[in-house]
Amino acid sequence: MSSRGGKQKKGNVTSEQEEEEQPLQAVLVADSFNRRFFPISKDQPRALLPLGNVAMIDYTLEFLTSTGVQETFVFCCWMSNKIKDHLLKSKWCRPTSPNVVHIITSDLYRSLGDVLRDVDAKNLVRNDFILVYGDVVSNIDVSQALQEHRHRRKVDKNISVMTMVFKESSPGHKSRCEEDDVIVAMDSKSKRFSMGTDEFEIRHDLLDCHISICSPQVAELFTDNFDYQTRNDFVRGILVNEEILGNQIHLYVTQDGYGARVSNLQMYDSVSSDMVRRWVYPLTPEANFTDQQGQGCTHSRHNVYRGAEVSLGHGSQMEENVLIGRDTSIGANCHISNSVIGNNCTIGDNVVLDRAHMWNNVHISSNVEIHQSVVCDGAVVKEAVRLNKQCVLAYNVVIGPNLSLPEGTVVSMHHPEEEEEDDDDEFLSDDQEVGHSKDKTRQKAFNPAEVGPEGKGYIWKASMNDTEDEELAQCLWGLVLNPDPESDSESEASEESQDRTFQLEVLGTLQRGLEENIVCDNLVLEINSLKYAYNITLKEVMQILTRVVLEYPFQQQGTQLTTLQYTGSLLPLLKTWSPVFKNYIKRAQDHLDCLSAVEELFLEQDTHQTAMVKVLMKMYQLEILEEEAILKWFSTGATNDKSRQLRKNQGLQKFIQWLKEAEDESSEEGE
Amino acid sequence: MELQAVLMAAGGGSRMMDLTYNTPKPLLPVGNKPLIWYPLNLLERVGFEEVIVITTKEVQKMISTDPKVKLDVKMKLDLVCIQEDADMGTADALRHIQQKVKTDVLVVSCDLITDAALHEVVDLFRAHNATLSMLMSKAHEFTETVPGQKGKKKTGEQRDFVGVDGTGKRLLFMANEADLDEGVVIRKSIMRKHPRMHIKTGLVDAHLYCLKKSVVDFLADNKSISSIRGELVPYLVRKQFSKSTNSPKVIDETHQNLKKNDKIQISSRDEELLHLTQERSCWNDHRGDMSDAYHGGRLRCYVHIMDEGICYRVNTLAAYIEANRLAPKLFDEPAVHPSAVVSERCLIGADSIIGASCQISDKTSIKRSTIGVSTTVREKVKVTNSIIMHGVTIEEGCNIQGSVICSNAVIGRGADIKYCLVGSHSTAREHNSKIAPEKRLTECHRAEVNITYHYKSITYNNCHKVSK
Repeated sequence: MSSRGGKQKKGNVTSEQEEEEQPLQAVLVADSFNRRFFPISKDQPRALLPLGNVAMIDYTLEFLTSTGVQETFVFCCWMSNKIKDHLLKSKWCRPTSPNVVHIITSDLYRSLGDVLRDVDAKNLVRNDFILVYGDVVSNIDVSQALQEHRHRRKVDKNISVMTMVFKESSPGHKSRCEEDDVIVAMDSKSKRFSMGTDEFEIRHDLLDCHISICSPQVAELFTDNFDYQTRNDFVRGILVNEEILGNQIHLYVTQDGYGARVSNLQMYDSVSSDMVRRWVYPLTPEANFTDQQGQGCTHSRHNVYRGAEVSLGHGSQMEENVLIGRDTSIGANCHISNSVIGNNCTIGDNVVLDRAHMWNNVHISSNVEIHQSVVCDGAVVKEAVRLNKQCVLAYNVVIGPNLSLPEGTVVSMHHPEEEEEDDDDEFLSDDQEVGHSKDKTRQKAFNPAEVGPEGKGYIWKASMNDTEDEELAQCLWGLVLNPDPESDSESEASEESQDRTFQLEVLGTLQRGLEENIVCDNLVLEINSLKYAYNITLKEVMQILTRVVLEYPFQQQGTQLTTLQYTGSLLPLLKTWSPVFKNYIKRAQDHLDCLSAVEELFLEQDTHQTAMVKVLMKMYQLEILEEEAILKWFSTGATNDKSRQLRKNQGLQKFIQWLKEAEDESSEEGE
Repeated sequence: MELQAVLMAAGGGSRMMDLTYNTPKPLLPVGNKPLIWYPLNLLERVGFEEVIVITTKEVQKMISTDPKVKLDVKMKLDLVCIQEDADMGTADALRHIQQKVKTDVLVVSCDLITDAALHEVVDLFRAHNATLSMLMSKAHEFTETVPGQKGKKKTGEQRDFVGVDGTGKRLLFMANEADLDEGVVIRKSIMRKHPRMHIKTGLVDAHLYCLKKSVVDFLADNKSISSIRGELVPYLVRKQFSKSTNSPKVIDETHQNLKKNDKIQISSRDEELLHLTQERSCWNDHRGDMSDAYHGGRLRCYVHIMDEGICYRVNTLAAYIEANRLAPKLFDEPAVHPSAVVSERCLIGADSIIGASCQISDKTSIKRSTIGVSTTVREKVKVTNSIIMHGVTIEEGCNIQGSVICSNAVIGRGADIKYCLVGSHSTAREHNSKIAPEKRLTECHRAEVNITYHYKSITYNNCHKVSK
């Protein structure tokens, strides 16, 4: 701590000039710390996945360099060797590079928090720095934001610790990530995150570019608060403690420029197509900004890019927004649109590709159709295969022939269960182990029904895990939220659901009552307490109770019951629960309400109408319902055609007749 | 006739009971004109020829009989009386006159003093075919010292949160602090349609509303709504973003009503053509997506927020004093009424108003004050920053500063009144009597005042008992 204090003081003393001279630094986190891209990222770290035939990390580095960053620290964890190899080979590590890249690897990073704590521990940053992920694609000029940030820090004495870069884009914009649907409250004048001042703005039209300009304090704050894991934790912590600690977060909103983070395949799809459509200019495919041999390509009308040595068969069409890598050959009569095809691919005849993302060394046979899917390196698609939307073929998978993969299929050479086993070691990337697990998976046979007769690979199912988080982690393509159902007003909606939950609770209570043989008095007590908990009127209690009891057989044994089975199981139940009913059905009006509930249910279950008489009879015999009430209900209750129809039921008429006679008799006897 | 004007002048002025004890709020003098004159004048200036005035019997009687509250307007006033004790809200009043409402209405409150360009509000109403358009203004800080108020003005009134879209015109959200449990809750569907929302506090609602006729009909069907500001406006604002499909029955019906009424208007006003143009045109009121203009919503609420200019609601004592100070700027009439008898040897500031048939004697000095009709000011009186209502007598050598003297009060010789409120028909009569600062001297308070001042051995006696 003392050393840090000293450093800060020194920092304050240093003259402005010196500050200016200090090189701009950046921290690039080349790990996502989540498993969204599994199983693809099992073989290749996310930062190295090709987007427009260039690794994503190259976009991020190019962006940093173009904004004037002179020193970048790349933090890797998962498969750090691969990233390191890639970077060492790239132009960033050449001596001429204006941006000095330091690679820092550790297997112990588990979150952004760990990385920043390490930044603090190693004292890497001396001044304001830019914090980005290795999967951010952007061409935003942040120098303006940087200037504002510095100005604020000069004026407000280091109060502002972070400036986050946002891009304006309306809700529903393609490159808005549904999971990252931010709503920001800001002070429009000072561009500060805030609420509670006299006037503020709530904005839903901002896209988080995941680029932030941080002051050195940020790393310190992460050290001080060891529970900060992500940037969201940090932002929340700062905002909550704003009044105590006095730190503020500002935002910088850009109208032009492009910035997005490839956080799931949906985003991958949209960022890739934006790139091909030249929204990220000057980062375009033909620019070959990575300065690699043979990566150059030509750009022609309708955004069609062709690499070197591309051969195109007779009658093949490249409609628009197509990028084809070098040494790729395409057969005859193909139809390609909005797609990216990597290097060294071979594509057969009569192939239809739309929104396909094919990486390197992919072999596609003839008569294949691919829609909005990702095909990774070395995958082979045999004849007459159809990939529906949002399919993923991971590395070296073989599919087909003659197969149609349903929407959202994920095929990988790694067995999904294998993955669960070495769960704990996932961060300890060890090539050996990967090889080892491969050996194990080989022992298990591929399922020809899933991947085709000659296929190789295992289907990864969107696992039905219990927690929502894990489900998210498994969902490659990301959430696709349905447009808001426009619930009218929350309170009204919740009221309805309250009835529903009450009904479920009553059902649960009765079920338990049966299983554990609880006395009816106690059931009544429980239902009463539920009534107060959900604020339900007595009348509704009775209606719901009636409904629950009458539906009970369906609930337990399915809706396919015959009428006979239904009555067979219901009548004993009625007998067991008759004290419960008697407790609620006391006044004349209660009887009528109960009867109308019975009627309503049998109107819905019109195949079982014959059972109604038996139910009524039983209820009458159990003295739940009185005969006057039944007679009254029968004579007056009919309000619409259906209920009139119901009353014409023969059995019911007989029952009523019998009731009337019985009444006459009893009255006669009375006389 | 496009709009019918309705003036709500039945309010009791419950927030300034000291002033309205004897004079009903609409007739309180502001710059020697009754308060109700200001909204009437506002309407007349923009060309209304007829106004429905909803008021009480008392006010009606006074308007027709009392010469001091002569309304100097050429418009035809259609006075509708409602019972004072019926406790009717503004919406109730509007429902009361439903039969008279033939077109869309412009509802104004009688306590509004503004130089707002009314057409701004009406233009919003017209341009967007709005259901409601209203006027708001930035809240003013009252700088003058208010009699009887110790220290700073309490911020007792709860804040209103008003949400407008990026253009600052469309009203998206409205909530009062009192109704919020934990923070402001805004539905995401609204945010999706209007990604930028400015939440403003510190706005004053001018209580000036343009309402569709269908809203008045809707009121007639929904008796539970009693106040326009409290219930109707928030309801309409909320309803903008709800679909009728999954709303419960009652609202469903009202919606159908609204729609039905809309249809009635369609035939009457060529709105079919309007719909056709809307369908055919590529115009919409938002950017970023291609959905229909207004996202297909039929209910639209707009607000015009005044950035500058005068906009006061005279509903508190502080606002009343402020309004009096500003009133002379609102109209150009001679500061001294021709019929007033003003001695040549007195000093009257340019920012003061002297009412009709006043008598101002020698050696008086009047600065930043309003002197009401038939007031007599004797020699050597100094009046600063004060409001003197009608028929007041101020005897020799008084010094009145920052005070409000209500009608027919008599201020005894040599009285020194600072920051006081003297109720109507009071008498502060004794040689060299002194009233300490910041006291309210009203009939209701008189007994208390007596005791206090006896205790402090300042004589104050001979109270003139007044029949109510």
